[in-house]
Amino acid sequence: MASVNPEVWVDEYGDYLFRYANSRLRNSNAAEEVVQETFLAGVRYSEQFAGRSSELGWLMGILKRKIIDYVRARKRRSELSTYEDENDPTSMMFDSNGNWKPGAVNWAPSPGQNLEMEELSAIVEDCLKTLPQGQADVFMMSIMEEMSTEEICEELGITASNLWVRMHRARLGLANCVGTKWQVDEGVKSNVGR
Amino acid sequence: MLDDNKASKLISKSLRVRLSEKESQQVEDKLESCEQTQKFAALSKAIQESVAGNLAVSKMGVTKSNAGGLTSEAKLRLKGSVLSAVEEKNSLSQAGLISGSSVEIGKTVSHTPEFDSGLEEYRKITNRFHLMRVLGEGGLGKVWLARDEQLNRRVAIKELKSESSVSPNARLRFHREAEITGHLEHPNVVPLYQYGINQATEEPFYAMRFVGKRTLTDAISEHHDRIAAGFDCSINTHRLLSVFLDICQAIAYAHSRGVVHRDLKPNNVALDNFGQVIVLDWGLAKIMEDSELAMKVNLSVDIASSSTLIQTMDGEVIGTPRFMSPEQASGRLDEVDQKSDIYGLGAILFAMLTGKAPHDQELSESADLDSVLKTIAESETPRPLDVYSCVPQELDAICAKAMAKKRHLRFESVQDLAEAVEAWMAGQNEKKAGYDNLRMEGRELRAELQSYAHNLERNVRFAAGLPPIEQLMQVTSDQEISVWRERLSSIFEGLLQANPDYQNIAYLRFDEDSYTELVRVERIGNDSHKIRVVPKSRLTTATPNDFHQRVIHKLPEEVLTSLVCNPMCSPDARNCNRVGLLSAVPVYNDQTEELFGLVLINCDMQKLLRRQMERRLNAGEVIVACDTFNILMRTKQGQFCDESLSATVRDAAPEFLPVVDYLQDNLDFIDNTNCDIYGGRLWFDSNKNGVMYMLKSNSS
Repeated sequence: MASVNPEVWVDEYGDYLFRYANSRLRNSNAAEEVVQETFLAGVRYSEQFAGRSSELGWLMGILKRKIIDYVRARKRRSELSTYEDENDPTSMMFDSNGNWKPGAVNWAPSPGQNLEMEELSAIVEDCLKTLPQGQADVFMMSIMEEMSTEEICEELGITASNLWVRMHRARLGLANCVGTKWQVDEGVKSNVGR
Repeated sequence: MLDDNKASKLISKSLRVRLSEKESQQVEDKLESCEQTQKFAALSKAIQESVAGNLAVSKMGVTKSNAGGLTSEAKLRLKGSVLSAVEEKNSLSQAGLISGSSVEIGKTVSHTPEFDSGLEEYRKITNRFHLMRVLGEGGLGKVWLARDEQLNRRVAIKELKSESSVSPNARLRFHREAEITGHLEHPNVVPLYQYGINQATEEPFYAMRFVGKRTLTDAISEHHDRIAAGFDCSINTHRLLSVFLDICQAIAYAHSRGVVHRDLKPNNVALDNFGQVIVLDWGLAKIMEDSELAMKVNLSVDIASSSTLIQTMDGEVIGTPRFMSPEQASGRLDEVDQKSDIYGLGAILFAMLTGKAPHDQELSESADLDSVLKTIAESETPRPLDVYSCVPQELDAICAKAMAKKRHLRFESVQDLAEAVEAWMAGQNEKKAGYDNLRMEGRELRAELQSYAHNLERNVRFAAGLPPIEQLMQVTSDQEISVWRERLSSIFEGLLQANPDYQNIAYLRFDEDSYTELVRVERIGNDSHKIRVVPKSRLTTATPNDFHQRVIHKLPEEVLTSLVCNPMCSPDARNCNRVGLLSAVPVYNDQTEELFGLVLINCDMQKLLRRQMERRLNAGEVIVACDTFNILMRTKQGQFCDESLSATVRDAAPEFLPVVDYLQDNLDFIDNTNCDIYGGRLWFDSNKNGVMYMLKSNSS
């Protein structure tokens, strides 16, 4: 049986697992909690570590499950109280005829400009925090965790059409937020460059 | 062409699944003509790729960079919990409670001085308390499970969250919450052990009894799950109501000390392992200015302003405003007083009775805070009966009074509310006991009739097995026939004398399309003591009716028992004025094995029922109906009602109609909610032919 080394976990993998969890849960307290849960489960079920994958890979497996559990529990906790708003960005971005409002999507990378993915992903991560939780969660599960529609619906207890609506609202909200932030950042950069 | 909004939806869709050809074309057209749509499509795609790219990077492995990682404080916390988990596992496995390799882990944990010292510093918040793990988080603080080293017991510790302490009032509020809780010494308020400062973080904390994690919310949802699964939950309902009375006790006590809770909801009521009810979270409590506590507790940080109240509620853990009173929801905070808690208690009662929070019906799951507050403030307060039809009416009324929108219509005090619920429970016990008697009475009546019918069947079988029956089949000479007729008649006479409800007994022979009576002995008119043997010349020959036809199809020894209308009249007699309980058995010729005839006993059903009802019954009203819904017998307060047999339940006693309907497919009708009516039925044969007894309690 492969042995585990819990005493090195926090120093070796703590930051990595925390960053991962934080990017998914967008809340450092929550991220710390799931990392703690992951380590505790790792100790409790240490016999199940077969050594087939790396220790980190094994802990990552546990962490991913814990993240989904956390999202589900958070959803359940707020269920009696669902004023966690699912506000619809449609009215913010479209007029009553369904046409784009001016500046709804502010996105004009100069032609040929190489999109810096790392920079963009940092902005996306920031913007995810501004979305209503229900929307950010489905975006995270679908795009970041690559879960299938059926899996997400089952975990969150929502219907497929509800999932589609949330995904679309998340995309609208993200496009609006990322576009704006990108413009500001680019503006700052070009000012500095001058 | 698509409008922009619809086009954006299709673009979103295209990022996850393939679009149909038509949809693709629509999107293409739109992209060509609309710059904003182009931007949205390009940006959404870039966002998706950047996140997926991020995924690829993070999949490559551990970067040693520290950016965005754990704080050193968090690391110490984590090390602490990992260590205690390892210790716990080792001790459990040494005690043989779990299988596993304690040694393995034990060996690998090297207690470096650095690891231990840092850890001790964090976990030990004072000399007395060691934090173990986080139990939950509220608006102001974090609640930990901790170990009390002095007394070697588990306690709960609430600590001010470091992010909260930035707010100038947070420390004061935290202290005030502890003070209020500490001043409320009551078995249903969580007892505080100590208030202190965490040596490591310098944040204040207080230690209290650890009451476990089960809340009233859990108990309510379990209760309603059981109801949905079809269990009998009346005992459980009483248990929940006892919990409710305990909550009332705690709140009544707090009111007597001038404290208003202001945040009553099932989540703030803990139920510990011993069934003790503990009201938690006095963080939003208000101290009435004229109370004795007001002198002792710092009032300068009252959080009564509406913005802070809502802010405090805005944390995800603090949860639901659906239990909030209309005056709180509409921001009239100067009106918030004991009556607001009475509303909160009513809302808890509402959740107990219906399994739902108030206003759940009108508000969608995703309603935002503003619309929830607006609904509570403006719409009519919901009634439990509108949400769930099985709520007893009296409880519905109590709940509606507690939750009245106008404050002056609510109960005057928590004590009054508790007394109303208590009185209902006591009355319910009495009512339950009365109802148990009613059920017993109903079942006895049914059992009696059933055993009567069995007896009847035994007698008809006995009669059919008599030697004269066989002899009358064989003999041919008139003399022999008259000898055996006489013998059979005298036995039939005996049977009739012994059974006062038997109207007649006959032995019939079947011919081609008719039957002929060979012997008939009958009671004369209304005089039940006079019995006669019908002379041969007056015996009937007639066409078999439905009942005869069904007996013809029976095998030897098979008895048919059935209720029959006007058994002595021809089948087409217009009005049914007598109902007979008929029992018959076919008689076969032993030699030819052919059907010969039948023996039949006709028993007067009304007479039989009348005798049953003459005994003193406690039920206020009894109705006996037959399968056609016609009323066979009805008594009110022990008096017989003169219903004609053509009266049906539908016309004469419509309140019993649902019972009759229910009894078509069920043996008993039991009314656990209102404890008013019991119904029980007895079918005599597989055609659902039989009677239904319905008893109504005396109180209603």
